Amino acid sequence: MSKLQIVRLYHDLLGTYGDQGNAEILIHRARAREFDVELHEVAPGESVPDSGDIYLLGGGEDGPQSIALEMLLADGGLTRAVSKGASLLAVCAGFQLIGTALPNSAGQDVKGLEIVDVTTIYTEQERCVGELVIAGPLDLEGNQSIFTGFENHQGRTKLGEGVSPLGIVLRGFGNGFANDSGQIDEGVQMGNVYGTYMHGPVLARNPSLADQILTSALGTLATYHDEFAQALASERRATLWPNN
Amino acid sequence: MIGNLRLGLASRAGYFVGLLSRALGRGRGESIHGRVLLKVYPSALEKLAAGRDIVLVSGTNGKTTTTTHLANILALGTDELVSTSTFGANMHSGIATALATKPRNRYVVLECDELYLPFMYQALKPKVIVLLNLSRDQLHRTGEVRKVANLWNKTFTQDDVTLVIDRDDPFLEFAAAHAGHVLRITFGGRKHPDAATCPSCSALLDWSAGDYKCECGLGSELPQVRADQRLRGPGRNSVLAIEAARLMGAVVPVDLQEELTSNAPDRVSEFNVADRKIPTRLAKNPESWRESLSQLSASQIILSVNAKGIDGLDTSWLWDIDYGSLKSTKVICTGDRRLDVAYRLSVAGIDVAIAESFVKAVEMFTCEQIEAIASYTAFQDLAANSLGLSRAVTGGQQ
Repeated sequence: MSKLQIVRLYHDLLGTYGDQGNAEILIHRARAREFDVELHEVAPGESVPDSGDIYLLGGGEDGPQSIALEMLLADGGLTRAVSKGASLLAVCAGFQLIGTALPNSAGQDVKGLEIVDVTTIYTEQERCVGELVIAGPLDLEGNQSIFTGFENHQGRTKLGEGVSPLGIVLRGFGNGFANDSGQIDEGVQMGNVYGTYMHGPVLARNPSLADQILTSALGTLATYHDEFAQALASERRATLWPNN
Repeated sequence: MIGNLRLGLASRAGYFVGLLSRALGRGRGESIHGRVLLKVYPSALEKLAAGRDIVLVSGTNGKTTTTTHLANILALGTDELVSTSTFGANMHSGIATALATKPRNRYVVLECDELYLPFMYQALKPKVIVLLNLSRDQLHRTGEVRKVANLWNKTFTQDDVTLVIDRDDPFLEFAAAHAGHVLRITFGGRKHPDAATCPSCSALLDWSAGDYKCECGLGSELPQVRADQRLRGPGRNSVLAIEAARLMGAVVPVDLQEELTSNAPDRVSEFNVADRKIPTRLAKNPESWRESLSQLSASQIILSVNAKGIDGLDTSWLWDIDYGSLKSTKVICTGDRRLDVAYRLSVAGIDVAIAESFVKAVEMFTCEQIEAIASYTAFQDLAANSLGLSRAVTGGQQ
């Protein structure tokens, strides 16, 4: 069987909020199912391969985010890979980058990678900082999934017509815009593309989301119980959303 | 005269409340002393600072240790009485307390929180400001490393103070870009993990030669002092402290300088827990964790991590650290966020377990040699407990 190819993009630019751990978690959980995994680190200035299975973008500061955007637009590798069906997890600044438009470090609106139809705007409102809890989609057994993470962002992100969020905000800010039913969206999910404001890293605190992404690349996975991963996810949910 | 009388009374009122606070086991009392003082006498800071020779010490890591160290060097090198802050109380009330405690001492060396530095620079009119380093810390509060650097860059535009900086940190070089007097110290350059791009012009920094270069010219100012490249964080901070002391008029003989830098104090405290002595390092952000991990020698390690206020509310940074040095050790995680640490270590292939409290963690180890790293509030609780204070101890410790 060929190796699972995970591509971590511009860790130096988009590694401010610890999201690089998402790669290690995917590798750990794939190896636990006896898959061979290879991690490709793409440094700023290097070309982005379009043959990867899972791509990861993390959160970063405004200046580095703008540089990452310019390089990804000029390179084109990520957009090609996603159009061929690769999976993508994009967090915070990375989530903003994959949309149609976002503010640059000078506050002007610029074109994004246009992978998903979401638009981020700059606001003078309070910065969105704190624990975030969302109700995600139903899992494979039909249970309501609850995801938790830590958000820290200034921009607010609006989903385009008919675009699905990753979940609905139960606690925190999320994307910052209400949908037609008055609920606040968090993140985006379109096919194999996942965008979110959740750090933690998000896959450390939500192993079922990690498996969802692995499944999108590998197909059905064997059951794997990781004691610490399950305990951490449960503890965070119980602490932040005790009603559940 | 009336003003001085009022200031004196205000300070005394604060002092007694501080004593009371300590007696009740509600902390060390420094901050509350200052809070009362500032409430009764709002311009106390300016008044208590007037006519004195003040040095401020700021930066992400090493503020408390360097402040104490610098105060000692100044006292030794000038034969003057030196006041200083204690225990990391580095905002308004803590600084007011330090100024009020021995108001006739000529020299004052004060630790200052990064975000409070612009205010304190205006209020206290220091002669020298030592800027140690800037890296990721408490991101929920500071937002970004670049925000702090920007704030300082806009603050230091006059020639009424001398900045002493480690110019190998590009954020500090940017912070000092418009300052009138800057003493630049280099340790030969080293890659900064948070500075892939230029804090000034946002272009990618060129780190190919082990030091940063930028097309905008950041970093092209020549340093006045070239120090030993092999020094670790504490040693580098000592070099900055010695240069600051010299600027204040202290005489630091060369042999003493060597002694001070080679035996630079690490922030290690020994706490009595479950009848054992546990050397414990305070570490609160990726940079100080890397530094602390590199210094551990025991094969049994306790890591205690909380995520309250000053610790930083987001624990994601635990994933930024390389734990390779723990491969042949046994680690027990405790503190409110023990599961975050334990999972992180288990993914890195480290032998790890969790314990509900620090005491239980100690009891899980059989042999004598144990070392610990604790985040800020976890460390404070250990310290309070060790002094026999009644403060509630985090992580369920009895």
